[in-house]
Amino acid sequence: MLFNSLEFFIFLPIVFGLYWLIGGKNIKTQNLLIAIASYVFYGWWDWRFLALILFSSLVDYSIGIALGKNEKPKNRKILLWISICVNLGFLGFFKYYNFFVNSLIDSFSFFGSQLSINTLNIVLPVGISFYTFQTLSYTIDVYNKKLEPTKDFVGFMAFVSFFPQLVAGPIERATNLLPQFSIERKFDYRNAVDGLRQVLWGLFKKIVIADNCAKYANIIFNNHTEYNGSTLLLGAFFFAFQIYGDFSGYSDIAIGISRLFGFNLKRNFAFPYFSRDIAEFWRRWHISLSTWFRDYLYIPLGGSRGGLKMKIRNTFIIFIVSGFWHGANWTFVIWGALNALYFLPLLLAKKNRVNTDLVAEGKYFPSLKEFGQIAFTFFITLIAWVFFRADSVAHALSYLQHMFTPSMFSKIEVLPITILSLVLFFIITEWLGRSGEYAIEKVDFMKKPVRWAFYILLIVLMFSFTGEEQQFIYFQF
Amino acid sequence: MKKLLINIIVFLLITIVVGEVVVRLTHATSDIPQRTIDDHGIQKYFPNQDGYWKGGDHQWTINKLGWPGELPKSYDNLIMIIGDSFIENFMNPNECHQSAFLSSNIKDYNFMEVGRSGISMIEAMEISKQMDSLKPINSLIYVTDDDFYESITQVKLMKDITQLNIETNTIEYGEMKAPGLKKILYNWKLLYYLYNRFPLNINNEEAEPILNTIEISNKPEYKTEVSKLLDFVKANYAVQNKTLVFHPNSSDYIIKMCQNIGFNTLLLDSSNDSTWTFDYDGHWTCYGHKRAAKQVEGYLRKNN
Repeated sequence: MLFNSLEFFIFLPIVFGLYWLIGGKNIKTQNLLIAIASYVFYGWWDWRFLALILFSSLVDYSIGIALGKNEKPKNRKILLWISICVNLGFLGFFKYYNFFVNSLIDSFSFFGSQLSINTLNIVLPVGISFYTFQTLSYTIDVYNKKLEPTKDFVGFMAFVSFFPQLVAGPIERATNLLPQFSIERKFDYRNAVDGLRQVLWGLFKKIVIADNCAKYANIIFNNHTEYNGSTLLLGAFFFAFQIYGDFSGYSDIAIGISRLFGFNLKRNFAFPYFSRDIAEFWRRWHISLSTWFRDYLYIPLGGSRGGLKMKIRNTFIIFIVSGFWHGANWTFVIWGALNALYFLPLLLAKKNRVNTDLVAEGKYFPSLKEFGQIAFTFFITLIAWVFFRADSVAHALSYLQHMFTPSMFSKIEVLPITILSLVLFFIITEWLGRSGEYAIEKVDFMKKPVRWAFYILLIVLMFSFTGEEQQFIYFQF
Repeated sequence: MKKLLINIIVFLLITIVVGEVVVRLTHATSDIPQRTIDDHGIQKYFPNQDGYWKGGDHQWTINKLGWPGELPKSYDNLIMIIGDSFIENFMNPNECHQSAFLSSNIKDYNFMEVGRSGISMIEAMEISKQMDSLKPINSLIYVTDDDFYESITQVKLMKDITQLNIETNTIEYGEMKAPGLKKILYNWKLLYYLYNRFPLNINNEEAEPILNTIEISNKPEYKTEVSKLLDFVKANYAVQNKTLVFHPNSSDYIIKMCQNIGFNTLLLDSSNDSTWTFDYDGHWTCYGHKRAAKQVEGYLRKNN
C-alpha cells in the first residue's frame, strides 16, 4: 500500500479510529491493532512475504529471550550470530544472490573461464533492508545489555512491522521505539495536529517535488547522449530533488503518522542540501541509516580512533557498505566509495565536525562563504547522485563525460519553468523552516486563516501537479 | 479527539470550496454540455449552451438545433457534416471545425455540422435521415471501422448508443447512462476534476455482457455482421447522396462493401504528412482538421 494511494487514505482513518476508540487506553489492544494493521498494510503488496516478517520476528524475539536468560559469553555470542546470520541471510538471498552470482560469472569470464551457475527469478520483498536492520538492532542491543529483552510478543511484532515506517524507514532503534510499545499512549491534540502537518509536508515533497522532478530526471538520464552538458547538470539536479523529496517525504509521512498513534520516531533528514561540507551532509542525510552503520559497524571496527590506515579502511568500509545496502549494483558501491573520498580529507584533517551548528542561524541569508560551501557540497553530491541514478557504471561515466564538456555553460535544452519554480518554492520554504524538525513545523506563528490558507495552497499544488503515481524509490532498498 | 475531528471536517469543507473555485477559475476541467434524447431517439444537446474547453483557451457552443458549432447562414445548397467526437470537436475552437474550413474554401455551398461523441454508423444514418428534412444536396458522414462494429449489438453491446440488432433487424436506441450522476459530476467541477485525474478503475461486474471487449478494429471476422448491417442500411436509408468519409487507415473491405450498396466514399490519407492528432489524445488538431478538410474540398470540387 502506498502512502499516496486511495487505499491508504481509506485504511488510515479506519485504523486511527479503531486504535483510539476501541483500543482506548489498553496497550495490549492497541499493540494488537497495530500489528494486525501493519500485516494488512504489508500484505496488501504481497501477502506471501508476511511469513518472512513473522519468521524474522519470531527468531529475534526468541533469541532476545534466550540472551536474557544466558550469561555465558560464548553462548551469547552464538545466539547473536544466529540472529545476524538469519537476518542477513534472508537479506543476502533476496537482495544480493543474483548480484554475487553474476559478478562471479563475470569475473571468471574475464579470466577466460566459463562458470555455469543459474541466477534466480526472485522478487525482492519490499522494505526487507529496513526491517532487517531494525530487528538486528534489537538483538545487538540486547546482546550489549543496552536493552532488556521483551516478553511481549505482540508488542515485538508491532515493533518489527510498525506500518508507518515498515517499508522505507526511518530505521528505528529498538532502544527508542520498542519501549514505546509498553507505555501508555494517550491521544494528544497538539501532537496529532503536528503529525498531520508533517504528513502534509511529506506528501507535498513526494507528490509535487519528487514525482515531477522524476519525469525530467528520467527523460534526461534515459537520453543523456542527446543533451548538452548544462541539461545533463539539470538532470542531476532534478534527480537530487527527486530522491530527496521522495525519501525525506516518506520519512515525514512515516513520522507524522506515527505521531497520530502516539509514537515518536527519530528524525531522518535535517535539511541536508544546506550542508556546508560532506561530513555535515552525512549527519543530515538518512540519519537513521548513517547512525546505524556508525554504531553497529564503524565503532565496532574501531571508528576513527586507530591509525591512519584504520581510519581510511573504516571510512571506506562504512561508505561502501552503505552504498551496497541501497542496491545490488556496482553503481551504488561507487556512489559509496565516492562519498568516502569526499569525506576522507575532512576526517584526516580533523575538520569533519566543524559544521555542527545550524547554517546562518537566525538569519535570512547565508554569508557568501557559507553560500559557496553549500553550493560546492551540493555540486559534489550531484556528481555522486549520477552514479546512484545511472543504470550501470558505464552509463554514469558516459553521463559525466557528456556533462563535463564546454556545453555545460551553454543554454539548457530542457527548461520546465513551472517545475523549477516549484523546486524554488520548496527550497525557500525549507530554508526558512530549517530550524524546525521539518520545514513547516513552526508555522504556528501565523494566524489560523493564513496557516490554513498555506495548507490549502499545498493541497491545491498537490492536486494540480500530480504526476503519474510512482512508487517511493526507497521501497526497492 | 473531538476537536481534531471537527477541525479536520471544517478544514476539508473549506478546502473543497477553495478547490471548486480554483478548478472553475483555471478551467482545470472542460465544461460538459448537457444531453437530451429527442423524439426520434437521437441523443443530442440542450440548445444554446456554451462553455470552456479545458484550460479555457477557447469556448464551445451548442446551437439552437442542439448540435455543436455554428449554424449556416442559409440552408440552400446545404452539405451536412455528420460524425462523432471528431466532428463535435470540442477540443478545437470553432474556426478549426470541418464546416469552417470548407465554408471558407468553397463559397458555393453552406455547411452544417451534426456531431456527437460516440455515435455509431447506424446512429449517423438515423441522424442523416432526420436531417434530410433540410434537403441537403449531400451528407458527409465521417466514420471509422469501429463505428460499424459498434453499430451491431451482436458485436459489442453498448446500451448508451444507438445500435442495430442484426438478428431481429430492429434499431435499439441508446439510453442516457446515469444522467443524474453525470449532472452532479459535471456541475461539481472539483469532483469531476478528481474523477478525471484519479480514476478509480473499479470493474463493474454487473455490467451488460459484452460479446467481445478486446480490440475489434480491422477484424475481417465480423464481415458477415457488417454485411447484415449494410443490408439494413440499404433497405432503410437513402444512400445515393451520402458520402462516407473514412478516417485514414480504415479497412478496405468495409469501404468496398459500402461502395457496393451505393455509398460514395472518400478515404482520407494522413501518410506523408505531419501528425494530425494531439500528443495526448487521438483526436485531430486544428492542423489535422485543416488537412482533412483540404482532401474533402478536393473531393467535393471533383464530384459536385
